[in-house]
Amino acid sequence: MESLLDQSSLFLQQLVNGITLGGVYALIAVGYTMVYGVIQLINFAHGEIYMLGAFLAYTMVTVLGIPFFAAFILTILICACFGIILDFVAYRPLRNAPRLAALITAIGMSIFLQNLALMIWGSQIKSYPRDMFPAIFLKPALSIGEVSMTWMQVFMLSITVLFMVILHLIIHKTKIGTAMRAVSQDKTTSALMGIGVNRVISFTFAIGSAMGGMAGVLVGLYYNAIFPTMGYIAGIKAFAAAVLGGIGSVPGAMLGGGVLGIAEVMGAGYISSEYRDGISYAVMIAVILFKPSGLIGRQIGEKV
Amino acid sequence: MRWQLYKKDPRFIFLSLIFLAVLLPWLPLGASSNYILRILTTAVLYMILALGLNIVPGFTGLLDLGYVGFYGIGAYTSGLLSIHYDLSLWVILPLAALNGALWGTLLGAPTLRLTGDYFAIVTFGFSELVVLLLRNELWLTRGPMGLPGIPPPSIFGHPLTHDWEFFYLILLLLMIVLLVVTRLQDSRLGRAWFAIREDEIAAQCCGVNLIRYKVTAFAISASIGAMGGAFYAKWFKFIHPDMFKFWESILILCLIVFGGMGSIAGTMLGALILIPLSEVLRAVLPQGLFNARYLIYGLVLVLMMRWRPEGLVPFERAQAKKAKLARERLEI
Amino acid sequence: MKRLCCFLFAWILLTGVVWADSIKIPIAAPFTGPLASFGEGMKNGALLKGEEINAAGGINGKKVEIVLEDELCDPKEAATVATKLANDPKVSVVVGHLCSSSTLAALPVYRGAKLPAISPASTNVSIGRMSPYYFRNVYRDDFQGLFLAKYVKTVKGYKKVAIFYEVNDYSMGLMLAFMKEAKKLGINVMGTEAYTADTTDFKPQLTKFKMMKPDAIFIPGYAPQGTLIISQARSLGMKNVAFFGADGLDDDLMVKNPDTEGLFVTTPFLPDKAGPQAAGFVKAYRKKFGKDPNWFAANTYDAVGIGAQAIKAVGQNREKIRDYLASIDSKDKAYDGVAGKTYFDKNGDCLKEAFVKKIKNGKWVSAEKQLQ
Repeated sequence: MESLLDQSSLFLQQLVNGITLGGVYALIAVGYTMVYGVIQLINFAHGEIYMLGAFLAYTMVTVLGIPFFAAFILTILICACFGIILDFVAYRPLRNAPRLAALITAIGMSIFLQNLALMIWGSQIKSYPRDMFPAIFLKPALSIGEVSMTWMQVFMLSITVLFMVILHLIIHKTKIGTAMRAVSQDKTTSALMGIGVNRVISFTFAIGSAMGGMAGVLVGLYYNAIFPTMGYIAGIKAFAAAVLGGIGSVPGAMLGGGVLGIAEVMGAGYISSEYRDGISYAVMIAVILFKPSGLIGRQIGEKV
Repeated sequence: MRWQLYKKDPRFIFLSLIFLAVLLPWLPLGASSNYILRILTTAVLYMILALGLNIVPGFTGLLDLGYVGFYGIGAYTSGLLSIHYDLSLWVILPLAALNGALWGTLLGAPTLRLTGDYFAIVTFGFSELVVLLLRNELWLTRGPMGLPGIPPPSIFGHPLTHDWEFFYLILLLLMIVLLVVTRLQDSRLGRAWFAIREDEIAAQCCGVNLIRYKVTAFAISASIGAMGGAFYAKWFKFIHPDMFKFWESILILCLIVFGGMGSIAGTMLGALILIPLSEVLRAVLPQGLFNARYLIYGLVLVLMMRWRPEGLVPFERAQAKKAKLARERLEI
Repeated sequence: MKRLCCFLFAWILLTGVVWADSIKIPIAAPFTGPLASFGEGMKNGALLKGEEINAAGGINGKKVEIVLEDELCDPKEAATVATKLANDPKVSVVVGHLCSSSTLAALPVYRGAKLPAISPASTNVSIGRMSPYYFRNVYRDDFQGLFLAKYVKTVKGYKKVAIFYEVNDYSMGLMLAFMKEAKKLGINVMGTEAYTADTTDFKPQLTKFKMMKPDAIFIPGYAPQGTLIISQARSLGMKNVAFFGADGLDDDLMVKNPDTEGLFVTTPFLPDKAGPQAAGFVKAYRKKFGKDPNWFAANTYDAVGIGAQAIKAVGQNREKIRDYLASIDSKDKAYDGVAGKTYFDKNGDCLKEAFVKKIKNGKWVSAEKQLQ
């Protein structure tokens, strides 16, 4: 009887872990999914924006002494600007070039930014000092038997859900959202209809990067570990989440993130912790091969 | 970079380079001669790897981010075969290449119908899975303990020990790969690849079987990568899963983008410049900056795509080249 | 063509620089990269020893030059650095490398060049027997794992232990040695879980451990992950579980985290347990670098000392130095360093004492009970 209780609380705790991790993936995945939805480009540098977000907030809090929540907002704004600059400098000149060129540029930017961070902040893992940490985050929010969840997890999850809803509303209820959907279907026709295509793309990058930066701050705080390569693995997994959910769809990113997070945690918990990262990659490959449109995405055919 | 001589006859510069390379171990370079030879061996190894990778993004126009996976498969095939069965190098090299081709086909057949970006990300996932397998399958690869004590290759019963012997061996391999790649480029296969690169749909309309030609390209590329890995294991005598991380794929991609995607001469030139450059950087840059040398590689990718997507030595079709040469001769 | 010539010329210039007449002792270790904080100890220890040798008149009248070679703990870089050193006639003995995988990659190069090397930090079991030119003044993983098992059993009395290891050679070597001894001593190893160096989320594995309710969790990994693991375990509500580790956790990073209170680790060097000349070393080190030396510093200090002693005795001949080092094979011939007496067995390995230290009130202190 006791072991059954243990088993079920183990499962519930793993579910909590998985959902939290999934929330992280979902937040990063939104950036991928929006950019891909609009210009059909895997923005590899998105993971690096997430990493820069974590570092920016960390630097603001520890070096400049800015209060945490102010630093949080500032970081999001800076990351949004950064996304626009990234698009302007790297991707816009290649809008009409072959897709291979844009893809290689994206990878180049990702590597460049990662190593830039390595030069600026060094490769050691950075942590927030304990006294600068908002203390409430460490307290358990709920604790039933052996299952516990901290306020930090609650905060992260609610922010994720909140922003997903806001984004969904922006895309479906506002003018700029309509423009984004139009551009994603056909750039030339949208331009003919009087949509400023580049402006819409910039806006997309800004929103995606703001989400990425926010995810960076939250994750940096949650694990209390910030390092230059953090964007590389998280970015790839988030991309996998975006594909899993159906690329181009915000609820899809949310769903994909959740499913991938839970799959990874359950895989590590019940199958093999050695192959934990492999589970995400395998899920990603399987989805791309067998259902490239994802769980709730629309079919994207090759345009002639 | 327009060399008059090269334009007149590429064979001239090629032969003089070979001559220089053969002579190199005997130049009076003093104490650092072995060090230079080792760097050059690395450079030639990367030339081979770059020539192999070039077939996929350069000839066929598909981004392959998982090339290092085949390199690793080749290295472990070679390492394990040498340790357990003590086979000769001339058996190991083809076996490793075959193993690479096998995995290339297995990966390529289901994935090559995907669009470019999805294909890139799947190849990336593949290479990460290969590293995970190398890391965790202790019974086969000894995992993170690495595979030490790989016996050196021997030729006619004479085990290779000196740096110059390995240098000649890799030069020989380069000749073979070069021969294969140049012949392929001008063959029916090559023409089909270029057609796919320029316009898939048009190629398909002309009767090119997309999947078959793409898989062939992928398999050949993989087998060259695996052969490079096989040499690498025999040369380093120690292999470790960390040697086959994603960065290697990026480095090799950077070589071909820098030199000229699709161009054989450019690919080789890219390796010949960038690989020793990293050693020069080691001597010149302070340690903290040297650590971030991939920054430069990233920048190279971005800047080349922006300003000179055709690379240092732009790709030229053999037919077009011949026609141009003939025209020039007529003018003289 | 012209450019190529220029290029070749540049190499020759860059690689063939002539050095002033001195004895080079290179230190090959990661000075940048994720393990840079370990390399820093090696760097400081070596620099201090070099300074002291020079202050005492150098080796046979020649100044010692400590050359730092950064290899990022990357096997490939290590092999390149090794080739560079092997071809430098001014180098007759190398001190390095730190990571076992780097050592294993550099080893064939040194063996080929008949260049003796002393590793102050690579604990992988297989290094010694692979080359007659490799020596080390640090114990092996199997000794450390065995020692820890004994300590846990006799001093702490833990009965149920779980192991959370990193997928690398160091961590797995320790785990296997620990498990083997634990079986003999009757410690119940309840489970083992793995993590990789680039993860920061350890909760799924820790949750499993939580349900097993072990007395203690053994972390045979490195400090950057160790500190995160302990914090995450505490936030999962694992309050009463003890944590212990090996020398990889012996880093100042651990004491910055208040959750690590009570952690104990093995270490080859304890300032207050070492011999009288160690007191002078600790004092000089504190004065020069403003902090206490860790075991990397102490072992490297000794390794440079052993190398210098060999050069002093037989000159700068690589072969002779190797023979000299191999001749230090018994307790009475041992090199008496700050981290205990060093003498080599037929594989070039050494047997040294291990100590235990723990975190108390946010500081590393020697554990009350040591195991001798």
